[in-house]
Amino acid sequence: MFKTDAGEELFIIDGHMHLWDASPANQVNKYGAGFIGCFYDYHRNLSPPEYVWEASLFQKYGPERMVKDVFVDGYVDMGIFQPTYLKDFYKNGFNTTEQNSVLKERHPERFIVNGSWDPRNGEAGLEYLESLVQRYRIPGVKLYTAEWKGNSKGWKLTDPWALRYLEKCQQLGVKNIHVHKGPTIWPLNKDAFEVHDVDEVATAFPGLNFIIEHCGLPRLEDFCWIATQEPNVYGGLAVVMPFIHSRPRYFAEVLANLLWWVGADRLLFASDYAIWHPRWIVDKFMAFEFPDDLRKEFGVSLTMDVKKKILGENAARLYGVDIRGRKKELAHDAVAAGMA
Amino acid sequence: MRQEEVYGQLAKVSDPELDQPLTELGFIGGVSIDGNSVTVRFRLPTFWCAPNFAFMMAADIRERVSELPWVEGVEVQLQDHFFGSEINGGVNCGKSFVEAFPQLATDNLGELRETFRVKAFLARQERLLRSLLQMGWPEEAILRVRVGDLPELPRSGEGPDLVERYLAILGERGLAGDASAPAFVHPNGRPIEPVEFPSTLAHAQRTRLSVEFNAAFCRGLLKTRYGGADQEITGCTERGRPERLVRRVVE
Repeated sequence: MFKTDAGEELFIIDGHMHLWDASPANQVNKYGAGFIGCFYDYHRNLSPPEYVWEASLFQKYGPERMVKDVFVDGYVDMGIFQPTYLKDFYKNGFNTTEQNSVLKERHPERFIVNGSWDPRNGEAGLEYLESLVQRYRIPGVKLYTAEWKGNSKGWKLTDPWALRYLEKCQQLGVKNIHVHKGPTIWPLNKDAFEVHDVDEVATAFPGLNFIIEHCGLPRLEDFCWIATQEPNVYGGLAVVMPFIHSRPRYFAEVLANLLWWVGADRLLFASDYAIWHPRWIVDKFMAFEFPDDLRKEFGVSLTMDVKKKILGENAARLYGVDIRGRKKELAHDAVAAGMA
Repeated sequence: MRQEEVYGQLAKVSDPELDQPLTELGFIGGVSIDGNSVTVRFRLPTFWCAPNFAFMMAADIRERVSELPWVEGVEVQLQDHFFGSEINGGVNCGKSFVEAFPQLATDNLGELRETFRVKAFLARQERLLRSLLQMGWPEEAILRVRVGDLPELPRSGEGPDLVERYLAILGERGLAGDASAPAFVHPNGRPIEPVEFPSTLAHAQRTRLSVEFNAAFCRGLLKTRYGGADQEITGCTERGRPERLVRRVVE
């Protein structure tokens, strides 16, 4: 909960977080080391110095640390887990639905746990998707279209098997499809990197919501265009938000474009924890205003209403969270008791 | 002397996504010269940087350095990259991308390269248009500018030479030959109509923003990874390449 100077309380949902284990004991090969090394550089590069961790802590921080950082220190009321399996790199996986669910069991009202699928797993993958729904009642999935698998260079949302998985999601009520189309951290080719396939499936599956992580950066122009055409396309602000500290001008320009093209109702705050700590991002975002020239050029402003939507109300709508009711429940849960 | 010549050639090689020279980005890790053979080491912001762009840069380095009349052999060494050995092996043997990645690549990089030259064109054009608008030029006056007028345009005085950069990419696309042709055109050469001006500018702005956002991220990551991209740039300055290399285009 973030409290303004005027005493107003903002309910905050962090749309993208992880509980990973990238410790050397869990790494399978040099790619496991390279993957977490890349995340660590993201972390070191964009965090304010006082929030930079030791590499060993960053590799494995554990559930207690996460709960404290995110809910106790970080203003966040609820968090959405976006799993990243990477079983070729990490013995037990990097950040799987199963791993994330352990923490949800401890704090059921605090977390939403999403699943994941890869269309290249065929029938077996469809069965796995069903089992995730039965076991964890996942309301959404996180997809990496850019991931290579064997000889495959990545996949598209419009591939025949991907369409079958999307149909399955629609049948099972798994409504929120988070798609990673962001900065290059994984071997990509041009097809895996572009966002146009979102356009087609958003039209074909009007009952699903497509949340494009990192707002499609560095393909912002394509993302804005697609989101303008498709009412069920949303922008996830992970990776965009931390620029508020090191590059406030770019942050302002990107956000002004997003508000103009996509609108305040379709943008979701996310820290990408543990890459970045939500506390400083929320603090800076709450204090942020557009420079005059951008306000004039785009005719947009960051009012309290807009901030509330981005920080929590939009995610609450997508995930069916009743903010008023949930506030009451959370006021007395284990985390709140620890804060008192 | 020969080092300077090599760096002069390397300054002509740009990152295709960021549209900035490798020398300014700090991607050059060092140059060694042994007789008439040149070895160029280069490095990228992450272990995972897209192999297709890395390959283009490696191939361009080899081609540009080979243009020096005294050079008899060029070896490119991409360092700390998950596909480093495949890229180095491919480029140093003069293979195409498809030949270097027979299992993984189904097409050549020409189309990808063109896609990013168009983005570079739009971004350079947008910066120049915006600077003219900021100087108070009306849209109609801007659209009346001819190619031959470009060198005479007033300069905003800060940052890179926007006119020079726009003229260079116009020339690259074969659009700078006719001095009486309209200066502000679409990437295919069709003049921008007055009615299209706002939408063209808005589209180009988003392209420019993507490129710059990416460039800022990459520069930061390179610095984090190698403890200061500026070190190599300073090194170049000592070899007599002042200011131009130190200037930070992004900021």
